[in-house]
Amino acid sequence: MLRTTLAGLRAHKLRLLLTSLAIALGVGFIAGTFVLTDTIEVGFRQKFTADAAKIDVAVRPADDPAISAEVLAKIRKVPGVVEAQGMLSGPAPLLGRDGKAAGNYPTTGISVMTGQLNRLTLTGGVAPAKPDEAILDDNTAKTRQFAVGDTITVLDQKNVKHEFTLVGLFDTGVDQQLASSGAVGFTTETARLMTGAKGFDRVDVVGTEDPARLRDAVASALGAGFQVKTGDQLADELAAQSKVEIGYLTLLLLLFGLVAMFVSALVIYNTFNILVAQRTREMALLRCIGATRTQIFGSILLESAVVGVLSSGIGLLLGLGLGAGAMAVMEALDGPVPAGAAIALTPRTIVFSVLIGLLVTIGAALLPARAATRVAPVAALRSQVEEQSFKTGVVRIVFAGLFLLAGAGLTTAGITSIEGDLALIVLMGGGGVFFLGVLIISPVIMRPLAAFVGWLPRRLFGVPGKLAVDNARRNPRRAATTTVALTIGVALMTLISVITATTRATVKTQLDEQFPVDYMISDQRGSEAGVPRAVADALRQSPEIGSVMQMRVTNAPVAASDPGTDPGTGEATVGNIPSVPDFRPKAASGSFDRLEPGTVALVDYLAREWNRKVGDTIQVKTTEAGTVTLTIVATFDGRTSDQAPVSVPEKEFDRYFGPLDDTRVFVNAKDGVAPEVARRAVEAVAQPYPTALVMSSTELRGEFDDALDMMLMIFGGLLGLAILISILGIANTLSLSVHERTHESALLRALGLTRPQLRRMLSLEALLLGLIGALVGICLGTVYGWAAMQTFPFEIQFRAPVGQILSFLALSGLAGVLAALLPARRASRASIVGALASV
Amino acid sequence: MTITTDVRHAVVAKGLAKIYGQGDAAVHALRGVDVSFATGAFTAIMGPSGSGKSTLMHCLAGLDTVTEGSVAIGDVEITRLSDKQLTLLRRERVGFVFQAFNLLPTLTAEQNIRLPLEIAGRQADQVLFDRVIDTVGLRDRLSHKPSELSGGQQQRVAVARALISKPNVIFADEPTGNLDSRSGAEVLAFLRRSVRELGQTIVMVTHDPGAASYADRVVFLRDGLLVTELTDPTPQSVLDTLLKLEA
Ligand SMILES: Nc1ncnc2c1ncn2[C@@H]1O[C@H](COP(=O)(O)OP(=O)(O)OP(=O)(O)O)[C@@H](O)[C@H]1O
Ligand SMILES: [Mg+2]
Repeated sequence: MLRTTLAGLRAHKLRLLLTSLAIALGVGFIAGTFVLTDTIEVGFRQKFTADAAKIDVAVRPADDPAISAEVLAKIRKVPGVVEAQGMLSGPAPLLGRDGKAAGNYPTTGISVMTGQLNRLTLTGGVAPAKPDEAILDDNTAKTRQFAVGDTITVLDQKNVKHEFTLVGLFDTGVDQQLASSGAVGFTTETARLMTGAKGFDRVDVVGTEDPARLRDAVASALGAGFQVKTGDQLADELAAQSKVEIGYLTLLLLLFGLVAMFVSALVIYNTFNILVAQRTREMALLRCIGATRTQIFGSILLESAVVGVLSSGIGLLLGLGLGAGAMAVMEALDGPVPAGAAIALTPRTIVFSVLIGLLVTIGAALLPARAATRVAPVAALRSQVEEQSFKTGVVRIVFAGLFLLAGAGLTTAGITSIEGDLALIVLMGGGGVFFLGVLIISPVIMRPLAAFVGWLPRRLFGVPGKLAVDNARRNPRRAATTTVALTIGVALMTLISVITATTRATVKTQLDEQFPVDYMISDQRGSEAGVPRAVADALRQSPEIGSVMQMRVTNAPVAASDPGTDPGTGEATVGNIPSVPDFRPKAASGSFDRLEPGTVALVDYLAREWNRKVGDTIQVKTTEAGTVTLTIVATFDGRTSDQAPVSVPEKEFDRYFGPLDDTRVFVNAKDGVAPEVARRAVEAVAQPYPTALVMSSTELRGEFDDALDMMLMIFGGLLGLAILISILGIANTLSLSVHERTHESALLRALGLTRPQLRRMLSLEALLLGLIGALVGICLGTVYGWAAMQTFPFEIQFRAPVGQILSFLALSGLAGVLAALLPARRASRASIVGALASV
Repeated sequence: MTITTDVRHAVVAKGLAKIYGQGDAAVHALRGVDVSFATGAFTAIMGPSGSGKSTLMHCLAGLDTVTEGSVAIGDVEITRLSDKQLTLLRRERVGFVFQAFNLLPTLTAEQNIRLPLEIAGRQADQVLFDRVIDTVGLRDRLSHKPSELSGGQQQRVAVARALISKPNVIFADEPTGNLDSRSGAEVLAFLRRSVRELGQTIVMVTHDPGAASYADRVVFLRDGLLVTELTDPTPQSVLDTLLKLEA
């Protein structure tokens, strides 16, 4: 029996390879995920361990925000301490060559430790040794065009410019935050002055003693309020943290890997089903000459095991390549990954990949193997292999109905009655169950669908078209499994593109409501720093500018207690209501027209929380006017407005809190002024203020669009694999069908069908399969995309990106046609006489 | 050497040779066969197993290439045609009935019968269609799929399909090989009637002396060579000739 099976496998090498490839791709993706994340993790650990080797003890603040210079002095006096240095960081905006602060976020200023404790990797020059020396991370240096020897200008925390000589460049390594903000390094003292840091984030210590003993000595000298750890402990802790972060990446990638594996399982299941159907006679013959059911069952499983082992092996190699490739790409893109890390292939990766490949393959072959045991020996004697007939069973309908109903029910529940993250999870579960229902019912709907999709080809392509539609319909179960595999990928693609399009439209509407202006000026360092009022004043003078609105916010204790009592310490953000009416939000209740001294507009959620409505009062503890009692004249929707939750009239704000800087300045160009002209005018006004960041609404939207496009691309790429596998499935099914219909093809050729016509027939069949799979996927994806967006607690602008979705349909059809290329070629090349003789 | 047929011959073959394989493994299936088939006649090809009957038929029908010699169907020399030209020629001028698997399982009997015309993009001659259907006696089975027909009915559908496009010649390779004697007789009688009544030319390969006796003429092959022939055969005369050949 074993020998028969192996001989059969050897005889069909191509088929074996094609089948294996489906599983191999899935396994490769999973193995690749492990290889990539293991490599990153090991790289991180090596980096942390190498860093930690330089430190004996690290001290970090536990309760206090920072470690003061006195504490550092105390540490230095602990017996056994040879050296102790503090480390600090804070915003230190680097000015670009145009005199404006570089980037949308301030550069991070860091202290560079000296001697043994220095952990920065210099890529050029030397570390700063004098107060007027600085180093830059190499990325920032490159984009801002600074080289060693140049003079750079950095703002201190009071916006005073300081000039430094650039003496070196360094690599930010694995620090994601530094990598994204850019970093400038100073001597410790200069860094403290520049950033205005109150103390150190961490103090690193080297000593003569054993690290554990030194740690205890330092800890007892400092008392409570500090975390004191040995270098090794620190490395472990950092590695554990990064492991958690990588864990999320692993999980996300594995999710896609599992989708791919599921699709592979469908492909394998279908392949074995067809093989068993085709070998009915062979197996009946084996039964006739004495093979038992168990032996037949065993031989099919053995075949699947061979396929499983082979594909897992290929998959593992593929995964190694994928992992290494992804790592190389991330390094090339300067991603925050440990550079030059050795590719990690752990035993876990090997065991897990081989196991999942084997299990999925054998699992998918179980049902077909069982079907094979049902072949009666007498089937060997029948002359004509019977067409596989398909009758819609009651059991199938009932099961499908149950699944579809349960799925729809869960989905509806997710949309209507559950809130928050749980809703999305319920919805996803509902989607999964509903999909299983579709999977079960798919053979039933395959015939009508094929008739529907095939309507045009039938009319357009003559006899090949008609025959293709008939062929697509003749074996609904096979067609269903083949197309459903594609449905999965297309459904998820559609889902994601619907979600991105909807998000894009929704955010655009929100931006239009919240940000109904052309430009916004804010400080690069965020809401804590302000834009001098002179900016707004100058803008008002500018002839290109239509209207200017200054928004100021501050935090103050606010409460809804009785008049005259102290509001306590619960802080809320208090801001001004613009005097210009076009910048005001819509009132949910009350009216902004009644704003006058002693009144306030309150955001709806605070009003609900405090149980206050228009006409009631709240207390605000101001800095300049003591505690004031304010009457609520309006409430507004916090989700569609950028207005501070507690908003008072502009003049009153100044009276309560003094002449604070503007947090944000909103600017509208005068009607008819060209955007470039207006932009230049705004920028000219902002020029003297290096950290005043001018953003246009189009830029803001563009950034958001870019982020969405990026997401769409990444998910598309990840799903591409599942789609590729399903296309392989189409190719596989088709080539098996072609093999099965060798005689039919020969007959058609004898009757006068030309080679191109025969090829066209098969391509059309594949086209139909592709289109049907895509069509079902598009319907599911669109509906679930809509449903997913319904779980979000704000108003949705639903968009189905028709162009994109149609392109999925077209690409699926095209992919089907491509999948048919080889089988069709083989079929049309076959000699008529040879094909007629074989059976 | 070019040859043509005159009106009296639907198919003419000259010096036909066919060699399968090369070198030591070469099989000389046909070793120079000269044969012609009269228009409107029913000819049977007989011979021992492996004598080259099927090979001859395939070469005559343009299904296979010949190693040497030439074949003409009607006024067309087919041995030099491209695959595409051959395909078009088969559409227009040749009908086939095979031993088994003659029909497309996805099509009904009627669709199967009309298939060659549809492939050729021609309209069925409705009068001929009715006549053929009635001759074959399949009118009540037209909407059935092949799997719902008996073996004999399937073969009759195949014959009807071959007739409907009015080909110059119909080639049949053991059309009754899979049938019991009664269904076999029905099919053969039908073939003979289509020759008599419709003036169809038919070339049939068979093993069965009884089947051969339905033909007007029987040609005998042995080891790839045409050795003898009979006109107006009876089962007995065919059997005698065969026994002589095998001796
Ligand atoms: N494709 C092929 N390759 C090699 N040899 C072949 C091939 N087809 C036929 N032959 C050989 O050519 C010879 C004639 O074969 P053919 O099929 O024409 O015989 P036949 O008279 O039809 O036999 P039967 O009565 O058994 O059908 C035989 O010896 C056969 O083995
Ligand atoms: Mg033969």
